[in-house]
Amino acid sequence: MQHTDIVCPFCGCLCDDLEVTIKDGHIESVKNACTISQSKFMNHHENRITVSTINGKETELEKTVEKAVEILASARRPLIYGLSSTECGAISKAVEIAEYTGGVLDNTSSVCHGPTILALQQVGESKTMLGEVKNRADLVIFWGSNPTEAHLRHIVRYSVTPKGMYIREGKKDRKIVVVDVRETRTAKMADKFLKIDHNKDFELLLALRALVRGEKLEAKEIAGLPIEEIKKLAEEMEKAKFGVVFFGLGLTQSDGRHMNIDAAVGLVSELNRKTKFVLTPMRGHYNVSGANTVTTWQTGYPYAVDFSTGYPRYNPGEFTAIDVLSREEADAALIIASDPGATFPKDAAKHLAQIPVITLDQKHTPTTMLSEVVIPVATAGIEAEGTAYRMDGVPLKLSKIIDPIEGVYSDREVLDMILTGLKEAKQ
Amino acid sequence: MGKLSKSYVESVNHVQLSPDDIKELALENTHNLRISTEIGSVTVYWFEDKGLDAGMVFFPYGPWANQVFSSTTGSTGMPIMKGIPATIMPTDDKVQALEEIVEKIRSGG
Repeated sequence: MQHTDIVCPFCGCLCDDLEVTIKDGHIESVKNACTISQSKFMNHHENRITVSTINGKETELEKTVEKAVEILASARRPLIYGLSSTECGAISKAVEIAEYTGGVLDNTSSVCHGPTILALQQVGESKTMLGEVKNRADLVIFWGSNPTEAHLRHIVRYSVTPKGMYIREGKKDRKIVVVDVRETRTAKMADKFLKIDHNKDFELLLALRALVRGEKLEAKEIAGLPIEEIKKLAEEMEKAKFGVVFFGLGLTQSDGRHMNIDAAVGLVSELNRKTKFVLTPMRGHYNVSGANTVTTWQTGYPYAVDFSTGYPRYNPGEFTAIDVLSREEADAALIIASDPGATFPKDAAKHLAQIPVITLDQKHTPTTMLSEVVIPVATAGIEAEGTAYRMDGVPLKLSKIIDPIEGVYSDREVLDMILTGLKEAKQ
Repeated sequence: MGKLSKSYVESVNHVQLSPDDIKELALENTHNLRISTEIGSVTVYWFEDKGLDAGMVFFPYGPWANQVFSSTTGSTGMPIMKGIPATIMPTDDKVQALEEIVEKIRSGG
């Protein structure tokens, strides 16, 4: 059986043109997918967790859920974290659990584009959809982002090679600029690569803004670039009919963090006095945008939400996962669709290892190795349906194309079991 | 493949550095690299990357890199993960397996 227009549940591009062939209940082939997506579909059954465990010992699902309920019900400050690689229905359930337990709710954006959200809340944004980029963008700037290795089909579907309504010759009609501290694979295919000094993005963005505004700069060099080179880029930006900045963690994880994004928004805002310019964060996990969206619907805030007072409070830096862990505040954790054991700096990870952790995942990770309770779940977009939000905020439907292993349920179903258990325990 | 697979481990247990730094450190193929910051140190494999300038090392995000990153977020929720001052030295120490890194985290080491 062949399924068409399948949405890929890997990165924020959410490519929606995959063709998947199923034979005897298994995926036989995937067309149109990038190599990472191919691997996710074709190897989704390998190294799977097949049974739920408590302290590494195989346990019936019902008893495992009971243990998870016991841990969360007795915790004074549980952390509910992850959520960016699952579908919106599961995220919604996790928000409900955080509210019900009076816990802290955070998603992986706190260690990727959290600073982007902070800046955009302060100064707004000039944004667009990826289809508009394909049809109109004649100047594409990748700043601190590397789609050739992280968002493989971004280049062929939206930003570099595709022919669009007003970009009839594809790459020939576009100028591609890369700004980065090292020569990435994306830099190698760009028309222009500007290698800048690390932690100097803020200065360069402000200099470009000043030049676009018509100010004269006395500096001969900024961020390691000669001023003539910077002036040339400012002129190219002004001359573009439709320019776009796709920025990545090169801006959010370096010195300045949200202030770098503030400066990028300022530059784009200045450019909009003269032409059309937009900026879009290169969101990594396929539904990290959805995690922010669903959390905002239900709590008013996109991440870093604390329910300990009975109502949602928002404060990144205080209620973000790394802060709650490194201050040794959390006394239990529920981890869904993420791997903080591998991705958090060691002090935060060390505290995670000291508290009871419940993890819902498809495959073993350093986090499952540190967890008291591990519950296997179905892969959203392959074994469970749902909704996910693309990096530009467009919601797309994830399909269920095969059944999960018997006795394995979706994130949403397992979280619903835990929530039901918590409510029963309270009664 | 999963986070315990050989391909994942090999994608994150190394650093990349410039040809000039390789020469400066007199690195030989048998050497590993000891990366130290004010937070801690870790031993990793290394590869040459001609796209890097001297004095800059690229460390893929993962359990090894997190042994030398700070959990301080400066009230933003985001730790600094780029442009961190570090010392790199050739070493004959072996690179720890993922299980050893996880055990180190568990034991609070």
